[in-house]
Amino acid sequence: MSTLSAKTIVLGLGNDLLTDDAIGLRVVREVAHRLASDSRVDVRETTEMGLALLDFIVGYERVILVDSIQTGRCPPGTIHELDATGLKQLTGRTPHFLGIGETLALGRQLGLAMPTEVRILAVEVADPFTLGTELTPALQRAVPDVVGLVLAAIRHPHAAQPASATGAA
Amino acid sequence: MQQAVKDTFNQGAARANAAYQMGRRRFTVDPITRLEGHGKIDIYLDEKGDVERAYMQVPELRGFEVFSLGRPAEDMPQITSRICGVCPTAHHMAATKCLDDLYQVEPTSAGRKIRELVYNTFMLEDHALHFFVLGGPDFVVGPEAPPAERNIVGVIGKVGLEAGKKVIGTRKRLRELITYFGGKVVHPVLGLPGGVSKALDPADLPKFQQLAKDGVEFAEWTLQVFKDIVLKNPDYVKMITSDAFTHKTCYMGTVDEQNRVNFYDGKLRVVDCTGKEIYKFHPRQYREFVAEHVEPWSYMKFTFLKPRGWNGFVEGPESSIYAVAPLARLNAADGMATPKAQAAYEEFYQILGGKPVHHTLATHWARVIEMIQAAETMEKLLNDPEITSPDVRRVPTAVPKEGIGVVEAPRGTLFHHYQTDERGCITMANMIVATANNASRIAMSVERAAKALIKGGKVTEGLLNKVEMAFRAYDPCLGCATHSLPGHLPLRVKIYDHHRQLVEELRQD
Repeated sequence: MSTLSAKTIVLGLGNDLLTDDAIGLRVVREVAHRLASDSRVDVRETTEMGLALLDFIVGYERVILVDSIQTGRCPPGTIHELDATGLKQLTGRTPHFLGIGETLALGRQLGLAMPTEVRILAVEVADPFTLGTELTPALQRAVPDVVGLVLAAIRHPHAAQPASATGAA
Repeated sequence: MQQAVKDTFNQGAARANAAYQMGRRRFTVDPITRLEGHGKIDIYLDEKGDVERAYMQVPELRGFEVFSLGRPAEDMPQITSRICGVCPTAHHMAATKCLDDLYQVEPTSAGRKIRELVYNTFMLEDHALHFFVLGGPDFVVGPEAPPAERNIVGVIGKVGLEAGKKVIGTRKRLRELITYFGGKVVHPVLGLPGGVSKALDPADLPKFQQLAKDGVEFAEWTLQVFKDIVLKNPDYVKMITSDAFTHKTCYMGTVDEQNRVNFYDGKLRVVDCTGKEIYKFHPRQYREFVAEHVEPWSYMKFTFLKPRGWNGFVEGPESSIYAVAPLARLNAADGMATPKAQAAYEEFYQILGGKPVHHTLATHWARVIEMIQAAETMEKLLNDPEITSPDVRRVPTAVPKEGIGVVEAPRGTLFHHYQTDERGCITMANMIVATANNASRIAMSVERAAKALIKGGKVTEGLLNKVEMAFRAYDPCLGCATHSLPGHLPLRVKIYDHHRQLVEELRQD
């Protein structure tokens, strides 16, 4: 497929000092090792969020985000694929934070070169609030699976990705 | 609500209360509440069904002290700036100043100026982000606008696409300056005891001078946007000055030798609800003036003015509650340190009826005035010939023992306090963050909104929105809470009757 040649960024989000919140960073670090020779894919880690993410994703055609999530409704290590259209909804109720959906919508509104495909993989975590540099055991075990999923996502672009051409705003 | 859910919750609450009664001073959150997400408000009703008390809680960042123990103190500017992706530069700078104090070393003059330059750049960038992206939607788009429009895209719709590009573009350039010195915005590696790690190359000076000049224009333009959209709308002004968003408390902020606002350094000054100075102290004395109060129902610690003692959540002349952040800084000072900001400051008090201003929502306006000071300070520093001096660090020689470092974070006064052994390894680490300093007043704001909207056990529609407007002005720092997806702050309100039984639950997520 033509999209295989598209410029892709794999972006790991998280905080490496907050125990399980580091999962996105750990996973993309492993992905970076596996894809070291692939010039079509850039892999980055960041502890930033909100608007700062624009600086990372502008200019890429595809974005794969790996982050943590805490729904409390499934065991740690469960992998959620979030629908970018769901996150695209703009809310005015965030006191501090511009979500990924808002960030994408903003970039499109400003006419920046925004990705046409956005996939969001979020790993259920047990403890993202305690300072620590080790993942909890369940999460450590989940790392290879998540890495595999991310690699698969890179190799097989989403069919009919709703977030793509339509634009949000 | 289903009876089973209610029962489970009440059993959990009873267990938690019992545990507290056993004498734990530090309240550990019961796992039930932990799972319940981020912004949590508990409202307690009296026998008539009116609000007796309402509280807001946010997740606690755990283990900071334990994590720090035994680590070299020099790691603290990196560790603390990495705890939270929201105000990394503030933590980095407070920790760096703490190291100066720990090693009893004054930074060189050029080193200090570079710190101030980076810090003011950060203040401008962070305040701009808040004004346009986070707080702005309430005003620029309007509090009555549908939620789907109350966001940054709505703001751009109102101020124009070009203006939107200006906001994003300026912010990016400001961050480039921070990155130039610190390597990264979130993991800055700039501050060292006695100075900084990088000097400003004279070849790079012109572009930053241009940035500062543009920054001043940008800040003045932002003030104009505020005036055009907010001040020219009588409904907004009425809301800002309404009782629902007014609290007569004390205020704290850092001031320079002329009692003008300073973000980076100075003495801490506290004024009472009439605007009279009641305390002024060196950061090293903070424990004589700031104490933390613990309530049985919350793991949050509520700071108060120690000499006055804890007088409860009361306002007026007896209040020992103080606020921090932009409005508090303006109230606690006699003026701004730069001319354009000073003019804006005078206009602010003239329009709002003199000092101090107690209207929480005026914090948004105060924030814009601080943007002007930050930009003007950048300009001043970049036109100072010493800014390109290579003499940016003095190497410390003293044996470390104890250090205290304080800065004004965008969200208010931030305290760092470490003790070490003679090798400089941490034996005690404590932080009081801006949101903790504001916790009591935030709690009062939440309660005010709850009291206005719940009568006789009946909950008026719009409770959540009104409560949110109240706490958004403080820009409470929930960095550790807001990182994980879905990326917004779920707000949950629980209402209990006078038997402390859960009767209603509202959520917005």
